[in-house]
Amino acid sequence: MDIKKILVANRGEIAIRVMTTAKRMGIKTVAIYSTVDRNAPHVRYADEAVCVGEAPSNQSYLLGDKIIAFAKELNVDAIHPGYGFLSENAAFAKAVTESNIIFIGPEPKAIEVMGSKLAAKEAVKAYDIPMVPGIDEAITDVDKAKAIANDIGFPILIKASAGGGGKGMRVVNEEAELASQMKLAISEATAAFGDGSVFIEKYVSSPRHIEIQVMADNYGTVLHLFERECSIQRRHQKVVEEAPSSVLTPALREAMGNAAVQVAKACNYRGAGTVEFLLDDQHNFYFLEMNTRLQVEHPVTELITGVDLVELQIRVARGEVLPILQEDLKIQGHALELRVYAEDPLNDFLPSVGHLSTYTLPEGDGIRVDNGFEEGMDIPIYYDPMLSKLIVYGKTREEAIEMLSKAIDDYKIEGVQTTLPFGKFVCEHEAFRSGNFDTHFVKNYYSPEALKKRFEEEARIAALIAVKQHIQEQRILRLPTT
Amino acid sequence: MNNNYKATVNQEFEFTISQEELSQLDAVQTTTGYHILHNNTSFKAEIDASNFAQKTYQVQINNNIYNVTIADKIDLLIKDMGFSIGTTKQLNALTAPMPGLILDVQVVAGQEVKEGDTLVILSAMKMENSFVSHMDGTIKAVHVVKDDAVDKGQLLVEFEETN
Amino acid sequence: MDSKIKTLNEKIELAHLGGGKHRIEKQHQKKKLTARERVHYLLDDGSFEEIGILVTHRTTDFGMEKEIYYGDGVVTGYGTVNGRLIYLFAQDFTVFGGALSETHAEKICKIMDLAMKVGAPLIGLNDSGGARIQEGVRSLGGYADIFYRNVQASGVIPQISAIMGPCAGGAVYSPAMTDFTMMVEDTSYMFVTGPNVVKTVTNEEVTSEELGGASTHSAKSGVAHITSANDAQCLEDLKSLLSYLPQNNTETPKKLPFTLQDEVREQLATIIPDSANKPYDMHEVITGIIDDDSFYEVHKDYAENIIVGFARLGGRSIGIVANQPMFLAGVLDVNSSKKAARFTRFCDCFNIPLLVLVDVPGFLPGTDQEWNGIIVHGAKLLYALSEATVPRVTVITRKAYGGAYDVMNSKHIGADLNYAWPSAEIAVMGAKGASEIIFRKEIKAADDPAQKLLEKENEYAAKFANPYRAAQRGFIDEVILPEDTRRKLIKAFSMLENKEATLPKKKHGNIPL
Repeated sequence: MDIKKILVANRGEIAIRVMTTAKRMGIKTVAIYSTVDRNAPHVRYADEAVCVGEAPSNQSYLLGDKIIAFAKELNVDAIHPGYGFLSENAAFAKAVTESNIIFIGPEPKAIEVMGSKLAAKEAVKAYDIPMVPGIDEAITDVDKAKAIANDIGFPILIKASAGGGGKGMRVVNEEAELASQMKLAISEATAAFGDGSVFIEKYVSSPRHIEIQVMADNYGTVLHLFERECSIQRRHQKVVEEAPSSVLTPALREAMGNAAVQVAKACNYRGAGTVEFLLDDQHNFYFLEMNTRLQVEHPVTELITGVDLVELQIRVARGEVLPILQEDLKIQGHALELRVYAEDPLNDFLPSVGHLSTYTLPEGDGIRVDNGFEEGMDIPIYYDPMLSKLIVYGKTREEAIEMLSKAIDDYKIEGVQTTLPFGKFVCEHEAFRSGNFDTHFVKNYYSPEALKKRFEEEARIAALIAVKQHIQEQRILRLPTT
Repeated sequence: MNNNYKATVNQEFEFTISQEELSQLDAVQTTTGYHILHNNTSFKAEIDASNFAQKTYQVQINNNIYNVTIADKIDLLIKDMGFSIGTTKQLNALTAPMPGLILDVQVVAGQEVKEGDTLVILSAMKMENSFVSHMDGTIKAVHVVKDDAVDKGQLLVEFEETN
Repeated sequence: MDSKIKTLNEKIELAHLGGGKHRIEKQHQKKKLTARERVHYLLDDGSFEEIGILVTHRTTDFGMEKEIYYGDGVVTGYGTVNGRLIYLFAQDFTVFGGALSETHAEKICKIMDLAMKVGAPLIGLNDSGGARIQEGVRSLGGYADIFYRNVQASGVIPQISAIMGPCAGGAVYSPAMTDFTMMVEDTSYMFVTGPNVVKTVTNEEVTSEELGGASTHSAKSGVAHITSANDAQCLEDLKSLLSYLPQNNTETPKKLPFTLQDEVREQLATIIPDSANKPYDMHEVITGIIDDDSFYEVHKDYAENIIVGFARLGGRSIGIVANQPMFLAGVLDVNSSKKAARFTRFCDCFNIPLLVLVDVPGFLPGTDQEWNGIIVHGAKLLYALSEATVPRVTVITRKAYGGAYDVMNSKHIGADLNYAWPSAEIAVMGAKGASEIIFRKEIKAADDPAQKLLEKENEYAAKFANPYRAAQRGFIDEVILPEDTRRKLIKAFSMLENKEATLPKKKHGNIPL
């Protein structure tokens, strides 16, 4: 089935990212937007655009039926959901398909299974995939949670059943905290996903977060495109990602890759997906979950494999056979990604929204910036505060780290605080440079003081230069203006 | 006579700059600004904007932008004498540290709260942020209700004056 | 030569110390800056040039020959504020309590003469215990020399007095003759005779603050035009005031760069309440019309039933006189008439165009007003406006009743453009009062007089409580939508920029004082 026009049911950098490939393939693009996004770059980038509602996402970007109605009206052949919003909403995928529009993603059934962490575990049980100890059912009852937690032993992790992106996720170290943390997790999960059920599992200490990119077509071929290391996180959300991981041996890589392929097969997967694993300090890996969408951090995989994942998504959606074989895929070079969030690393990574009075991006060989903002824009409070993704590609990990560090310096942002200084901190930190780190990197090594000290030194020099300048200007003879 | 200056940078750092320190600054003029050697580390500085009358300067150090406000002897004296110009400050109050939507208000005027009690839950960028009381005290007034959109710095909750 | 330079440096250093470190500290303890600190804070960095720094007094009586201070208790000179030349004197309380001597006065006169010759504003920072008693009549002569120059300079250059400490006795008459008197809360006072004399003569017990503090003069007497919370704020307010004024009477105020947009202001459309008897804040109308944050209110706490102040309209400095329906329904009385008349005359002196916003029910009735001469005082405003030759534009927002309609910059007394909002009611009086008079017999004869009155009232209101009768006669040039007011006014003042009008040749008019 041919695709002549794609609607991207998303906003920001990912909408632009998807449209870029679509345009290259000669496909027309349609953007959707909320009232506050009228002036957003993704709207201007698309060939056509429709306003789907008011600023809050539940009145715009989450209105599946409305989006489908617009898609039909504009004779759209396929809808790409991006990540977040409706990307892992099985009902939406189903409604799209039933409206005779191609959903660029897996079957609704696969989304549904993998969307529920419990169902996912159930589905992959038969394939002998290692898993973290925990319960098999979603709960909302605190007493029940206490009993289970005592059974597997603290520390435990509460996770939203429908979750992702760290929302509704809480670590509980002792029983006394359980009730309040659970309440928060449920409330956050309800707000973010409309489903308040959570489940509980053993909390693995010193874990690394390693995920495998998979790609499947309609004809039974499932490829894996190696791993991404996503252990540098704050608030359970990834900030720095890289490919390949510095700790995987070829054997472990193959084992994890095969496990990921099995997981994909377990749910008859189609298109691009990501299987997430925890890797403990003994290099045992545990299946965590499968994300049935294109990931934020997909560019690092694209750079080391030379594959355009969005292109493959579209071709699979068109019913084509995957044009590459597993043995064709080789890792070349090293890629790093820094998510540039409008957050204040000096203030607990709290969102720092405001007006982007200066916004200049780095450029150069091996530098890719997937960006959704422009100088002069306000950052809306309604959505994820990610401004752009800085991705670098070098021959070696060391080279990539240096490139990232330099590119961070070349960013110029004024008006909001960003995670850029944090990225710099990571680049320079011995644990990261040596590759010896885990998901507790922030907790173990990062403190705002370390960053602040650096700022303070620069600030002091700025102050000295300013005073020097002022004294020089004082000497200039000035006459009254007429 | 004391010829020190005080410089406030990005409203965050405050430095006292002495004549001596200035004379020791190893800064050479380049075509675009200055090159500085400080503790043997190299820094490049550019002056983006300056307002001599207001004593405000925008200086770029290694591509990071710093806004510097200079206070001279008289400015400092005025500060020491407690003269405020323009605004007044409210201490016994909780203000929004960022813009967002009020998800829940858990206190009412007249209520007594303990340090650490949750006062207001604000959602920004889909994250819930609970604001807890930083002291034991009594709530004087609550200035927001659920579903209000608030701006950064907006007054949320006021406490009674305590001694 | 080295030793000679050393001598000079020593003298300058001594002069800079004024009355000495100890007295400077005392001044600071009183929450007051010293004269030199004030000068440096007010003027652009590095712009101050002092004149007469080495002047000393010549008195030999009472051992005064042993107490010599360079500068003799006053710092005088010139400098710039936001780049513009001004002359100033600042009395130094650390030297003889700032007491005015013959030489002290000579220094002030010297820069007043310069200011007059050059045509630049004169600023006085007053902080003085009074005359230098040791000098006797010579000191009094010094005061009079200053008074005389104040009057000569009046209407030629702007003169502003900031009272930043005591100002008592004859000394008060210099500020009184300048254009604006500013006072600092808690640290300044002005009176002709102090509390001690008051007690002796009238048996009144009163504190200096009650008798002549900043709040007294800003709210009760109207002597102070501006009050500020502290020294620094006062100097900031002074700078701000200067920005609206020209250098002298031959210039117009500097226009600030301003990029015009569509200039429609929707918020103006919803200010006037539906009920004619409901008050609203005329400040909202002003804010809606002028450039953002540009209103500089004068006499804020005095006669609050009228608002006067400076503002910018498309970058152009204008003076605003506006009735305030929030206070006494915006009625004209003795104090409000004086306040508005004085402000109007200042604007006319210095080529500052006038905008008059009208919502006035008339003059305040009563014995108090009549016995205090509302006839003469009301006439002041009528006179001042009639005499003003600067561009004059009127906007009637709501009521313009009776004689007050004529007074408030009506077409008939020389206004250039008169606008009215659709809510305007231009009539001899309110509908109710008018009906009671016109239809007295008819109402009396009616079965239900109250009902009849209401009927007649509505009939009258329908006929006259609108701007259209006046517009038919051309008394109103255009009835405009409130939201378009800013647009209209920016264009109007631009159109009137080159207005030339002269009064008949005369020595000076005889305003009813």
